[in-house]
Amino acid sequence: MNYIDSKIPPIRELRHPETSLAHGGKFCEIKSRKGRKCAVFSQADRSFTQGSICPLLPALGIMCTLPNTVVLLHGAVGCGTCANGINVNARAGSGARGRAVQDSVWLSTALDEVNVIHGGDGKLREAIIEVDKQFKPKVILVVSVCLPGVIGDDIDAVADSLKDQIEAKILSVHCEGFKSKFMATAYDVVYHALGRHLLPDPAEVKKKKDKNLLNVMNVGSMGIADEKELSRLFRELGLKVNFFPVFADPESFPLAAQAALSVSVCPTHDDYFLTHLEKKYGVPYVIRHMPIGIENVSRWLLDVAQILGRVEEAKKLVKKEEKELKSALKEFLPAFEGKSAFISAGEYRSLATASLLRELGFKILGIRSFHYDGFAEVELDKLSSDKDFFFNVANVQPFEEANLLKKLAPDVFLGHMHGNSTAARLGIPAQVIYNTAYAYIGYSGVYDLAKRLYRRLTRPQFYHNLTRHGRLPYRLGWYQSDPFVYIRENKEASQ
Amino acid sequence: MTNASYVERPRWSCALGGALAAVGNLPQTVPILHCGPGCAGNFAWTNNGASALNVTGPCLGLNVPATNLQENEVVFGGLERLKEEILNCFEIMEGSIYFVLTGCLPEVIGDDVESLVLELNSPKRPVLFSSVPGFNGDSYKGYEEALKTIFLGLAAKKTSKNSSLVNVLGVPPAMDPFWRGNLEGIESLLSLLGLKSNLFFGPRADLELIKKSGSAAKNIVVSPLYGLEAAELALALYGLDYVQAPLPIGAAASERFLRIVGQALKIPSTKVEAAISEASRIHYLYLEPIIDLYNDMELQRHALVVGDVNYALALSDFLIEDLGWASELVAVVNDLTESQKEAVLDFRKRLGGPYSPEKLIFENRAEAIRQEAFKIWKSDEGKKYRNDRKPIFVAGSSLERTLAAQLGAAHLSLTFPVTNRAVLTTGYTGYLGGLRLTEDLVDACVSGR
Repeated sequence: MNYIDSKIPPIRELRHPETSLAHGGKFCEIKSRKGRKCAVFSQADRSFTQGSICPLLPALGIMCTLPNTVVLLHGAVGCGTCANGINVNARAGSGARGRAVQDSVWLSTALDEVNVIHGGDGKLREAIIEVDKQFKPKVILVVSVCLPGVIGDDIDAVADSLKDQIEAKILSVHCEGFKSKFMATAYDVVYHALGRHLLPDPAEVKKKKDKNLLNVMNVGSMGIADEKELSRLFRELGLKVNFFPVFADPESFPLAAQAALSVSVCPTHDDYFLTHLEKKYGVPYVIRHMPIGIENVSRWLLDVAQILGRVEEAKKLVKKEEKELKSALKEFLPAFEGKSAFISAGEYRSLATASLLRELGFKILGIRSFHYDGFAEVELDKLSSDKDFFFNVANVQPFEEANLLKKLAPDVFLGHMHGNSTAARLGIPAQVIYNTAYAYIGYSGVYDLAKRLYRRLTRPQFYHNLTRHGRLPYRLGWYQSDPFVYIRENKEASQ
Repeated sequence: MTNASYVERPRWSCALGGALAAVGNLPQTVPILHCGPGCAGNFAWTNNGASALNVTGPCLGLNVPATNLQENEVVFGGLERLKEEILNCFEIMEGSIYFVLTGCLPEVIGDDVESLVLELNSPKRPVLFSSVPGFNGDSYKGYEEALKTIFLGLAAKKTSKNSSLVNVLGVPPAMDPFWRGNLEGIESLLSLLGLKSNLFFGPRADLELIKKSGSAAKNIVVSPLYGLEAAELALALYGLDYVQAPLPIGAAASERFLRIVGQALKIPSTKVEAAISEASRIHYLYLEPIIDLYNDMELQRHALVVGDVNYALALSDFLIEDLGWASELVAVVNDLTESQKEAVLDFRKRLGGPYSPEKLIFENRAEAIRQEAFKIWKSDEGKKYRNDRKPIFVAGSSLERTLAAQLGAAHLSLTFPVTNRAVLTTGYTGYLGGLRLTEDLVDACVSGR
């Protein structure tokens, strides 16, 4: 069946049962599914865990950027206050795209004890009616979090019952954190809501197909600098880009169905929506490689060019760009030669960044990936000439990271936003590799990251000061322990 | 709580978030969250955007141990998972105290956390517990619950009164983006009276003092509402009385604060007045250089103040009394019951400054605040002669930036959420805090100079 026809989309682990959160061992062991704690492709977990993020956070990361949209969180008042952090990106992103710098609109039904006992549907109903009047949005995204999921509120029924009474379109988004272990479920649930309600009738689209229009999927992986770089490259190939869905006005959504091709920037994000676009609107898609790293960017571009019949132009472009970039990088390479690096981020970003670092002359000591699924197999192959580094799958879990870093003592650490402080507290220069304020993607992303890495490595004083004074919460004995001792294999579920 | 069907861009997080911000800043303490899988991340991103760039501590952000409950536990109960987590936490995490905080999920499914904590608690390795589900209240409630647990579980039961030790309550970590500096400012005020402060939280807190908090001479609650329940509990438990005062921002409020505390602790008024006199002398030596510019640059402003019950009234008093500004409109953003609103107004009357703001509203919706502000500043626009009550200054949160721009006003982020400032030591309490606030307000007026 087509998932998008059902009210609630499936969680990631149902569509991709091989998805895992827990593995620890040497890199060579993951392909063979072995390792001291090789739990990939089983439902392994940990007997000690630190706090994580649930699908709500990345889902808000997309939703809060949509203009003329109100995000109505149905839950306790704390769920979604992370929008304060996301709003930073939404404000900057609006400004960078030539719109007014303005705060996203997020609201909470702030369920209390009475609602927990008697249900919150009535409060939600009132809220939707009032929000429609007060804010006059084009779209109200009604987001269900843990609490309604446990007390049995039915946001879909409430939304259905009101759809003829209010002006805005009501989209329900299921972010009950306890229902999925994987943040990646966030992308599916948002795409599901957008796909069900905001795409046009296929018959209308047929007349408007644009053979020069390319969808580049962006669920928040890229900031404006990255978008500009990809626009520039595709312009050289005679293509226009529709970045989708972040910052897209609900009225511009039909564009996605009119495109000649869709391409994913981070394959783990987009398969749910891309298969839908293909089935319903005949938009083919490419979902392979992440355009981080010189070779990765070129391969990614050539894949697109291949399908759209622009291979010769693309080959020329790639050759010219690579030559120009490599010559520019020469300034930094001596500082990188033989330096060791440790990477921690989302699955695809961590692996693609490892390829990039090898191109810059770094030696990889370890890679941590927030989850692991089949999409990354191709990235593993690219790295397989070096089998000796650590590969750790963890939904952050900084205690394992602290243990590894203390043992491996890399020269530099590259991590996701809010994932760099363990390294920094140990005195290791840390470079953020996910923050939409900076450039990572395309050829210019390679240069920009190299420039910043050069600055970090040649001026590490801030971090060195922390070597003596940085505080971490772990016992000394923990650093002597096997870093993966709390990974618990689930033999029944493993293959 | 409010009867409204929704809260707009809530200017606080939930009880779990408030409790974590407190417990994560309690010395030598390891918080353990028993909650859904996204709560810790949610708080990290909240503080990133709202608490003046204060995100991590050794046990905050994504470092905090957490059970990250999944469907299996929601169906079959989460206690076993919590027990495993706590036992492993003992092995890995260095701490003198372990402090379990429960969020929405275990509270709805009925995990008996209290019994488990009793089983694992020992004098050698205290395990404390606060029930702080989000549906039970906001960050302030979480702060309050954490304080109550500290009084119940950590404070010594029976020791003789320490006549020079006072506990400072009412400054909630992270909810008050300037909490560390504010606690320090209060500590230095109290030291003028020869008092030693137990601050509970932050770099200057001391676990040994916290353990003695039950035998302090007084609880000092610098808030009309927050910390009061904990103070009442301490009164019942230890016969420890409390005294309330507004957040002492600046010289005038600091004087009042010192007199209130001095009187409550029966410190001879000659000693109190001597301390005030000396502190004021130095204060005005520091303030002196700005006298010329105050005149020449017309540094008087008409203010719109937006903030929580602690800040809104204290800021208004400061602007009126210390700077001679006009406090045209004050919006108190908390969701309060009618009796809480009355308590706040009564508190202001009894303990606040002598001058009321022109208008005070209890409101947190941007549109409603905008309408009130426009009544003052946008009516009769274009009329030839009009007292337009300008220039305007908006002293509020980062969410008031849009309104400030609409009003053509200068703006400074002072109340949660504070997105666009980095705060390490800055606090606005005490004499020195008032000077700092003067600097920051004037900076915002002259930044284009």
